[in-house]
Amino acid sequence: MAANYWESTQRKHWQFTKDELANVRQRLEDDDPGLVQMFPLPQLRHLNIYFNQQINRLGKRLGVRQQPMATAQVYTKRFYTRVEIRRTNPYLVMATAVYLACKMEECPHHIRMVAGEARSLWPNENQSIDASKLGECEFFLISEMSSHLIIHQPYRTLTTLQADFALTQDEASLSWSVINDHYMTDLPLLYPPHVVALTAMLLAITLRPTPGQASASTSGSNFHGAGAALTHAQQARAAMGGSSSVNSSGMMAMPTFSPQSSGGLQSMAAGADGAKPPLLDSRAKVTRFAAWLAESNIDIEAMVDCTQELISFYECHEQYNDKHTREQITRFIKARGL
Amino acid sequence: MSLTNPSTGPGSVAAARSNLKRSVQAAFEDPADRTHGPIGYQSKVHVTDKYNVIGFISSGTYGRVYKARGRQGQPGEFAIKKFKPDKEGEQVTYTGISQSAVREMALCSELSHANVIRLVEIILEDKCIFMVFEYAEHDLLQIIHHHTQQPRHPIPPSTIKSIMFQLLNGCQYLHTNWVLHRDLKPANIMVTSSGEVKIGDLGLARLFQKPLHSLWSGDKVVVTIWYRAPELLLGSRHYTPAIDMWAVGCIFAELLSLRPIFKGEEAKMDSKKTVPFQRNQMQKIVDVMGLPTKDRWPLLPSMPEYAALSALQPPLGHHHGGHYQRAPPGGGSHLEKWYYNTINQHTGGSSPSLQTLGAEGHHLLASLLEYDPDRRLTAAAALQHAFFSTGPDKASLNCFEGLKAEYPHRRVSQDDNDIRTSSLPGTKRNGQPDDSLRPGKRLKE
Repeated sequence: MAANYWESTQRKHWQFTKDELANVRQRLEDDDPGLVQMFPLPQLRHLNIYFNQQINRLGKRLGVRQQPMATAQVYTKRFYTRVEIRRTNPYLVMATAVYLACKMEECPHHIRMVAGEARSLWPNENQSIDASKLGECEFFLISEMSSHLIIHQPYRTLTTLQADFALTQDEASLSWSVINDHYMTDLPLLYPPHVVALTAMLLAITLRPTPGQASASTSGSNFHGAGAALTHAQQARAAMGGSSSVNSSGMMAMPTFSPQSSGGLQSMAAGADGAKPPLLDSRAKVTRFAAWLAESNIDIEAMVDCTQELISFYECHEQYNDKHTREQITRFIKARGL
Repeated sequence: MSLTNPSTGPGSVAAARSNLKRSVQAAFEDPADRTHGPIGYQSKVHVTDKYNVIGFISSGTYGRVYKARGRQGQPGEFAIKKFKPDKEGEQVTYTGISQSAVREMALCSELSHANVIRLVEIILEDKCIFMVFEYAEHDLLQIIHHHTQQPRHPIPPSTIKSIMFQLLNGCQYLHTNWVLHRDLKPANIMVTSSGEVKIGDLGLARLFQKPLHSLWSGDKVVVTIWYRAPELLLGSRHYTPAIDMWAVGCIFAELLSLRPIFKGEEAKMDSKKTVPFQRNQMQKIVDVMGLPTKDRWPLLPSMPEYAALSALQPPLGHHHGGHYQRAPPGGGSHLEKWYYNTINQHTGGSSPSLQTLGAEGHHLLASLLEYDPDRRLTAAAALQHAFFSTGPDKASLNCFEGLKAEYPHRRVSQDDNDIRTSSLPGTKRNGQPDDSLRPGKRLKE
C-alpha cells in the first residue's frame, strides 16, 4: 500500500534477488546479441554511477530536492530492467524520470522547463529532447514500470530512527550520504529501504566521522566494525532462541578490505586521534544498535550483503571513468539516431 | 474515434455530424498515428483487443468513463476511465500527463481493500490513458436520487447503516495508509449490485505522510464545495484526514434527508486567481451548526479567514445578545433539531422509518460534523461508534440486505456524443439530472 512497504508494489514486483536481476538483464541482451556486440558498454556499475550523476545534475539545475531525485533514480533503474539500454536515449529517459518523479513527489516542473534544462545540460548528446518526446517517453516509462510509481525510500527510516539511535549530526549526514551513494548501485532493486537505511546508519556509527567531514569513506577496519556488529546481533538473536540459525557466514563473508584501496574515493573518515570521546560514545552506540537489531525482525543477512555491496561499490568507484562512459553512450545514441 | 486522429478540421461539420452517433466502441479504435521516431512508444496491450466497450457512462474534466466487458474471458464488467490528452490546436501531442492522473494511477496501483474501488489495469495507448476498474452498478448519488422520486421515501435505515460502515471502513483504510481522498461526495461513492460500497475517484487523493511541501501549496481548491470542511473554507493550510471525515458527515446527512445538508453557492475565483472566502457556503454551515467558537475550536482564531466569520449571520432564533452560544447538551442544537425533524419525517408510510437510528445517529452525525478538526471523529473511532452496534439493524456488509426492490441500474448510453469536442469542465453525467446542478471542482491544478 501507499505507505506500507510490506503491501507495496515495490516489495511485490520490484525487489529482485541478485540472480533474478542478472537473468532479467541477460534476457534483454540476448534479445539482440548483434546490438550488444556492436556497442560495447562500460560495466554496469559504471553506467549506474554515470546515470546517477547525470540525474543529480539535472535535478540540481531544476532545484529539485533529494527525495524526487532518488525517485527518479529508481525509475531509471526499473526501466532498464525492462528495456535494453542501447535501444533508448538514456538522456531522454533520465529527463523523463526526473519529470515524472517531480510530479509524483508533489513538486512538479513544467514539461518544457525540464526539456529545456535537459537540452542545455546535455547539448551534444541530444539532437532533440523536446516536450513532446519527453511526454512520449513518459508513457514508455510508466508502462514499463506497470504504473508502479510510489517509491519507498530509505530516507524516511533514517529520519525516523536517527533520534532513537542518538546519531550525532555528523553521523546522520554520513548515513544520508551513504543512502545517496546507494543509488549508484543495484541495492534499491535488491533490498527493502529500511535495510538500506539501517546499514547506512551502522556504517555511519562504525566509521566515526569527524565533525564537518560527513562523507562516506572506506576504511577496512571500520567496515569490519560494521560486520562485527552484525555478527553480534545475529548471535544474540540466536541465543534468544530466535528462529534464525546462527550464521557465522555473515562475518566470514565480510571481505578483508585492503587498506591501500581505501581513501581514494572520498576523504577518509577520522583517524583515531582526537576522536576519543566520540569513540567511546560510538562503541556504546554500536552495542546498542546491535542489541536493537538482535531483538528486531530485521533481516541481518540482508544487511551483511548490503554492506558488502557498498564496499565493492566504493572500490569500483575508484576505477570509474566518466569520459569513457559518456563516450560509449554517445556512440550508440549517435549511430542509432536515438 | 481515437483522440490521436486529428483529421476533422473546423470545416468538416458534416463529417462531425455523421460521427455524432458513432458507436462508443469507436472511441477506442482507430489509432491513426502508429508512426514513431526511434523510441516510438507503442502499447503492448490494446484496449480494444482486450475489452468490448458497451456504453458511455459519464464524463468529467479528466475525460470519460465507459462500461466494458472483457473479450478474453475476464469475468465481470468493467468501467474504463479514459483520460483525454491535451490538444495543441488540432494536433494531439504528448504534453505530459496531468498530476492528478499520475496520482490516481500511482495510488490505485497500490490500494487494495474491499471498500475502495479496485483497479484492474492501466493501459497507455495512443496518447490516452485508460484506467480499467471493476464495474459498480450504482453510486450514492444515484441511490439518493432514486429515493427523491415520487413518492419521496427515505433510504432504509439498515441500508444507511451499512453504507456508513463500509464508507468509514474504506476511509480508515485510506487514512491508515496516509492517503487523503479529498473529494468524497455521493457521486464518488460506488455501490456494487451485491451491496458493497467502494470509494472511487482518487483523482484528487494524495499521500499526506511527510509531504515535501505543505499540502496546501499544490492545489489550492479541493473538495466539492458542499462537502468542504470548515477549516478549508477558513483558509487552513494544514489539512488532515479530518477533511474527509467532514465530507463523510455531510454524506451521512444527505443519506438521511436526501438533500445536501450545506448546499451553498461557490464564489468563483477572481481574475487574480486568488481564492475568495466562500461566504455563502460557510453561512449554510452556520445556519445548521451555529457559529464556531473559540471554546469549541481553540485554533479557530488562527485561521486565515477568521475575520470573515464576523460578517456571517448567526442562525435564526439563536440570538443571545447578538452572540451565538452553543446550546448546552440536551438543550437542542440546530443540528439536533435538523436530525430529529429528518428522521421523524415519513413515519407511518410503507417504508421503514429512520427513527430506529435513534440518538446514536445524532451523536455520530454531530461528531463527524464537529467544527474543530482535532476533535472531529476519526474513521477508526467512528467505526467503533455505538451507532453501529445498537438498534435493530446491525451493519451488514451488503447494504441491500433485506431489501425487496432493486435500484435502477446505471444508465449507459450508446451515443458517444461529441467526443471530438472536448467536454466542458464539470459536465453532467448521463442520466443524472441532479448532478448538472452540482458545483464543479478542481479549479486549478
